[in-house]
Amino acid sequence: MSTTTVAPTRAEVSRPTTAHKLSFGHLLKSEWIKFWSVRSTTWTLAITAIALVGFTLLLTLAMVNAPDDAGAPTNPLDAFGLNVYLGPLAVAVLGALSITGEYTTGMIRSSLTAEPRRTPVLWAKALVLFVVVFVVAAASIAVAALLQAAIFGGDGMTVDINDAQTLRALTGYALYIAMIGLLSFALGALMRHSAAAIATVLGALLILPIMFSAIPWEPLHKIMPFLPNVAGAQITQTNDQIAAMAAAQPDVITLSAWEGFGVLAGYVVILLAAAAVLLKRRDA
Amino acid sequence: MIEAQGLTKKYGAKTAVDGISFTVQPGKVTGFLGPNGAGKSTTMRMIVGLDRPTAGTVTVNGRPYAQHRSPLTEVGALLEAKAVHTGRSAKNHLRALAATHGIGDKRVNEVIDMTGLHDVSKRRVGGFSLGMGQRLGIAVALLGDPRTLILDEPVNGLDPEGVLWVRNLVKYLASEGRTVFLSSHLMSEMALTADHLVVIGRGKIITDGPVDQVVSQATRTTVKVRSPQAAQLAELLAAPDVTIASEEPGLLEVHGATAEAVGEVAAAGRIVLHELTPVRGSLEDAYMSLTQDAVEYHSAAVPDTHAAATTSEENAR
Repeated sequence: MSTTTVAPTRAEVSRPTTAHKLSFGHLLKSEWIKFWSVRSTTWTLAITAIALVGFTLLLTLAMVNAPDDAGAPTNPLDAFGLNVYLGPLAVAVLGALSITGEYTTGMIRSSLTAEPRRTPVLWAKALVLFVVVFVVAAASIAVAALLQAAIFGGDGMTVDINDAQTLRALTGYALYIAMIGLLSFALGALMRHSAAAIATVLGALLILPIMFSAIPWEPLHKIMPFLPNVAGAQITQTNDQIAAMAAAQPDVITLSAWEGFGVLAGYVVILLAAAAVLLKRRDA
Repeated sequence: MIEAQGLTKKYGAKTAVDGISFTVQPGKVTGFLGPNGAGKSTTMRMIVGLDRPTAGTVTVNGRPYAQHRSPLTEVGALLEAKAVHTGRSAKNHLRALAATHGIGDKRVNEVIDMTGLHDVSKRRVGGFSLGMGQRLGIAVALLGDPRTLILDEPVNGLDPEGVLWVRNLVKYLASEGRTVFLSSHLMSEMALTADHLVVIGRGKIITDGPVDQVVSQATRTTVKVRSPQAAQLAELLAAPDVTIASEEPGLLEVHGATAEAVGEVAAAGRIVLHELTPVRGSLEDAYMSLTQDAVEYHSAAVPDTHAAATTSEENAR
């Protein structure tokens, strides 16, 4: 092969030593800019906030208007229950899109050229996603609780945030929703395809629990508490609620709040680790 | 400086880049020339670590790209015009990439002005024309004020003004002592822009040298001879590597011999000449003959021998 030799004298560019260097902090700033500069972010977060506040108030209204003798729940915390299913849907879309959007548009090549070690890009993205979703969800839950108290306080529908269990359960919604966002993000990083990732995560969240409870086969019922969102949602329940749940279904395991959240986090860690390995290995 | 050693990339059974070695020197524009599918883009992607070589190594400024702590200030790369999220504005795209290295908005605005994107910088990239996308890609490459620039088909989709701008820009950057490596499938563009050429075909280096040398090696010169004794001259010129065509009586087209050689043979044979004109082949012809050779010699796997043989033939005359 023809290889030219190095010329003995060559003019090197004389450049001032600059402070421009890669760092994780810089990557976070970059991912922050990326996160907020596409429209899907604002849309999905707005939908999440509206859903969290809206469904909480709607359910509270239904509970207040239920006939007293029907044995309807009167714990104002129960009004937040729908958020387990409806809260994370838009976030799941956001989580997947935040990484698959880079693959479908080719942006990932720019990102990985800027940070050729690659995996820090994944971590920075995940961190920005988790923190923002947590903050937005927590703020929405807080607004929902405030409006619930303001509108339905007269009917005794006021959550007591001075109660440690109540506070943990409410914060749990934000943790749970942010973690589902990460689950979707990890699937997106593995699949690199928006539609495939969103379909998979929504299937896992919505269809699997229905299948597992509807199919009359004992082992499925035993596994059900370990499904990602079923396990993760335990963090949104107070210890009293979890105890009641365990009493109602003595033949299956009932995970505690943090055990359940740990299971969900475990899925996320495994998927993210797999995504990181593949990100390192695959051609971009 | 970019140094590749035995660089190879296979996709399954297909070999896209086949053990190529070359060096791109600072201070000049090096053109990377080859037809579509020759392996140019794959090679460039391996240089910046997007594709992992199946075998061989490539370093930029002395080390693999991924080992630089500040890659954007070492290498600016335009790989695909649209390696950009279509939903993001040009300015935010630049800001996000600049942020990875702590490069501020001042530099972002500078490259926006340099590349003429000022009026469209707040528009979403999805609506950009090919030319605007190319300018944005060049803006990204310039962000870190890098020592080395790698530009894959930078003039694709640009208007004539844009083509001229890129040509002057890369020459200017090289004159500052930077390493500039740009690919093209257009020989004419390369002849105007590059100082040095690396020609690739079917994943192998066909030839590597200064532009003038590559062009003259590859350009087939024809000598047009008009003579009343054409048939007699043709006999005298006959040699293994000389081919003679005649389209009309009294006119010969001689390949493989210089005008000087033909004139001397005619003088020695006391033959009257009415015309003796060297006709230099076009650049495109040269390119075609270069890349044709890549196909012909592919199975023989000795791409350099042809170039060497041509040179020795010419020297012998």
